[in-house]
Amino acid sequence: MKDSCSSISQLLERYFDRQATDEERSLVERHLPICQTCHERLTLLEELRKAIKAPVDEALKEETFPWVWEKIERGIRLGKKPSWQESVRSWLDLSPLLRKKVWIPAVATAIVLALVASPLLFKKTPSYSERSVVEYLESQDYNVMVYESEKAKVTVIWLFEELDPSTS
Amino acid sequence: MALRGTGPLHLMKKNIPLIILTLILILLPSIPFAQVQTRLRVIRASNVGAGFDPVLTDVHSQLGSLFNFTSYRLLRDESLSLSLNQPVSISAREGRITIEINLVKLQKSSPELIIRVVREEKEILKTQVRLSPGRTVLIGGPKLREGVIIYAISARF
Repeated sequence: MKDSCSSISQLLERYFDRQATDEERSLVERHLPICQTCHERLTLLEELRKAIKAPVDEALKEETFPWVWEKIERGIRLGKKPSWQESVRSWLDLSPLLRKKVWIPAVATAIVLALVASPLLFKKTPSYSERSVVEYLESQDYNVMVYESEKAKVTVIWLFEELDPSTS
Repeated sequence: MALRGTGPLHLMKKNIPLIILTLILILLPSIPFAQVQTRLRVIRASNVGAGFDPVLTDVHSQLGSLFNFTSYRLLRDESLSLSLNQPVSISAREGRITIEINLVKLQKSSPELIIRVVREEKEILKTQVRLSPGRTVLIGGPKLREGVIIYAISARF
């Protein structure tokens, strides 16, 4: 028993610090009920821990650690500036749009729209020079001739003063 | 704890000049310019005599295939600054024919004009034409003494 007590007392601090293995812990727990000396020693260790911990906990409650925040703020100020993409993203808060769940359907929709709209986009529209220059024309008493030449870039509007007798 | 200088409001304030400049650049093409410079030449074409003013070479070549006038004479050569809906009238010196030109639409390089030709206070022609770069609109036919009057209108871009 004495040898056993001697070996247990060596393990007691490890047991108290919760560093003992399962086997060692089992050994200590079997020994403690039958050994008053070891039991008292363990009780003493626990009281000692309480005596040390109480004032430390009390001091921690009152302490706000301002120097920690100062250090964090200084770190943020000195930190790397955000890139323009990060600024834009934070400004517009586009991060959800950059997720795959959103942009994959968006890209797919854009491709479909482009395919649908491509005939309209690539359809040749006549330029102004190709279209008629005369929007409308009105003459109550005269015959009017309109002649347009794209090559010469000229539009002729000609009034014939004498009415055609067959039309009057 | 708020971080100073990185919020959306700060970024917005910082970029206000850039935003304004961008808006101006976007909107500028859609803002119509106030005036269109137009050239109006008043010409008398006839078969009395021969020859034409050197400044009328283009008109002669354009009308030569359509009409057989032997003489082209420049009566007036006007540079008109047309403003929207502000008609300008020009009278032929030798007659009682007046042309009135009104800028009614302005789209990029294609101003649209309403042109009225009035003879002795009676409208003989009203037309709306669109001018494009390099294009000349010739309006002719009304008699003027022994010949006819021709108006050559083109825009200066």
